[in-house]
Amino acid sequence: MPRSATTSDVFNAVADAHRREILDALITGERAVGALVDDLSMSQPQVSKHLRVLSEVGLVRCRAVGRRRLYRLEPARLRPFRKWLAKYEKAMNARLERVDDYLKELQRQAGRHDS
Amino acid sequence: MTADRRGRAVIEFPNELEIVITRTFDAPIQLVFDAFTKPEHVRKTFAPYGETVTECSIDLRVGGNYHFVMVTDDGTEMSFRGTYLKVEPPTRTVETWIFDGWPGVEAVETLELHETGGATTLTWRMAFRDKAGRDHMKKYDGIEANLDKVEELLRSLLAGGAARGRAGR
Repeated sequence: MPRSATTSDVFNAVADAHRREILDALITGERAVGALVDDLSMSQPQVSKHLRVLSEVGLVRCRAVGRRRLYRLEPARLRPFRKWLAKYEKAMNARLERVDDYLKELQRQAGRHDS
Repeated sequence: MTADRRGRAVIEFPNELEIVITRTFDAPIQLVFDAFTKPEHVRKTFAPYGETVTECSIDLRVGGNYHFVMVTDDGTEMSFRGTYLKVEPPTRTVETWIFDGWPGVEAVETLELHETGGATTLTWRMAFRDKAGRDHMKKYDGIEANLDKVEELLRSLLAGGAARGRAGR
């Protein structure tokens, strides 16, 4: 994992499969680094490295409880993904509505032939 | 060095207490031995992903201690220490191995080197005191990255040596 892969935006941060694994592991709630290491297929240094990138772009937040560091998702930072996907959903919906209109038109035509 | 052997370690489990990691480096045996036993080299290689190294001391003699500490990116300190039981340059060292993150886990580590045709094969054996200890060993990405860094270091040492050789002429 080259250190030069600096990530300043959330899209870059989730481009890495290991970082997506970490995010998925945090869906159910706040976890300590050790617990993440136990559950994932990565060593402690690698999990730490990815958590740092995720923290830098704000996708996860960290708080210290005694000597333990707990990480949790920051759902507000998922907004850029929703905004990006929304464009596609809008386009897809428009296309599906056109298909819908076309099917209705076909049915009307079929109805005329039957009579 | 010619071949790129990154990520090419062979990891085996000969029995329930041991792990044996084998990897070949395109470098002479003495240089590989130095890479694993000289603090100035180990400092550059043992932190797999560029973590901060805060301690790297090696007293390379029977009964001497070593102590390596790195701080991972979330601030976790990982400390490894032990005592040399055998020191036979340039072919072998045997040392105890304790990682502070795993209380109660102890191992004896053997680093063995064998040179054939200019390439040196490392056989890195870790023998844990009990099965529970070895069961902690589940992740090998750090070890691979660690050995990749050794390869990188050897490459730069060989390149530097060649450059000095030219300058000397």
